[in-house]
Amino acid sequence: MEQFELFLVFLRAAALSVGGMAALPQLRQDLVSTGLVTERQILEALAIGKLTPGPTGLYVVSLGYFAAGAAGAVLALIAAAIPPLSMVAVAGIVRRQLLSPGAAGVVRGVVLSTSGLVVATSLTLLAPDRAILDVPPWQLILALAAAALAINGRTHPGVLIVGGAVVGVVLGR
Amino acid sequence: MFARSRYRALGPIIAAQTDVAHEVNPPARPSVFDLARAWIVVSTQSVGGGASTLFLMRRQMVERHGWLTHRQFLEDYALSKMSLGINLVALAGLIGSRVAGRGGIAVSLIALLVPAAAITLALTIGYTLVRDNTLVRAALTGAGPAAAGMTAGIALTFTRQTVRRGWRRTIDYGYAAAVFGAGLFLGASPLIVIVAGVLVGAAFLRGETTRASGDPGT
Repeated sequence: MEQFELFLVFLRAAALSVGGMAALPQLRQDLVSTGLVTERQILEALAIGKLTPGPTGLYVVSLGYFAAGAAGAVLALIAAAIPPLSMVAVAGIVRRQLLSPGAAGVVRGVVLSTSGLVVATSLTLLAPDRAILDVPPWQLILALAAAALAINGRTHPGVLIVGGAVVGVVLGR
Repeated sequence: MFARSRYRALGPIIAAQTDVAHEVNPPARPSVFDLARAWIVVSTQSVGGGASTLFLMRRQMVERHGWLTHRQFLEDYALSKMSLGINLVALAGLIGSRVAGRGGIAVSLIALLVPAAAITLALTIGYTLVRDNTLVRAALTGAGPAAAGMTAGIALTFTRQTVRRGWRRTIDYGYAAAVFGAGLFLGASPLIVIVAGVLVGAAFLRGETTRASGDPGT
């Protein structure tokens, strides 16, 4: 895949999502199907993204690196910045209209759509081909605990990742 | 954790004080250097993203420097929730535009994104050097499921914050569940699902604007 094509992949994923994590289903579809990254590398990028500072959506930098090295990381970062930048321009013109109930309905539809897809994608990353019974029980428990703690919001994301890694070292060898 | 709960308790008082202070004495336009420095603090210290980043943004922009009021921050936050892509990047641009015009947008985005991205890239490169180590591979068997679970948890939190109140909540949750099923069992294309989301949202999910508090952000 050419670098410009890769840039378009990241740009399309960002432009079709509301929220950094929401780009994940589209990125997985485009990058895994073309063989640029593996399912494992997506999990690695998500884990790295949770351990580093800045917005959560910067896991795309890791994905870009896995796909095409440092140039891929830079392209992914630029692509991730463009859709939010367009929002700044639009808000300068129609700020009040964007805060109306009608616009809220459209955003709600997109957010609920992407949220449903992100949960489905997370499950697919955990259990490829929906083979949930093939996943070791301790990994399922770990994923459920991490989901519950993320919803609760009181545990630092980095602690969850490091905690998961420690459990992996103990049980996954 | 204690600092954050204390901050929440003081939030309304601080908000009222900053709002009144701004009406009496509008803040000076920040210099490019000061604005960049504030964003670099957010970029390098908000480990874990989301709530951590949002918390530091509010502390730097509203409390520490007083460049905008609590109310202005919440309005920009509500707008950023409607943005395509990473919401907190849009929030940085909106704040930059409000406090320093077009130059403020560029400075805010660069100073927020570049340091954090550089750290992410460095960690990724470091990881690739050791990824085949037996211990690292074992660690990923635990960190991977944790990351997948957290990602699902964040998405569920977004769903909870997006649904409307009252009986319409059932419709909203039902729609999200239908998309989940379509994604998992039918392999629905994300593009088609997003287009469907726009149409369904415009026709059936209108109403309350997005809530602007207690959010993990992105």
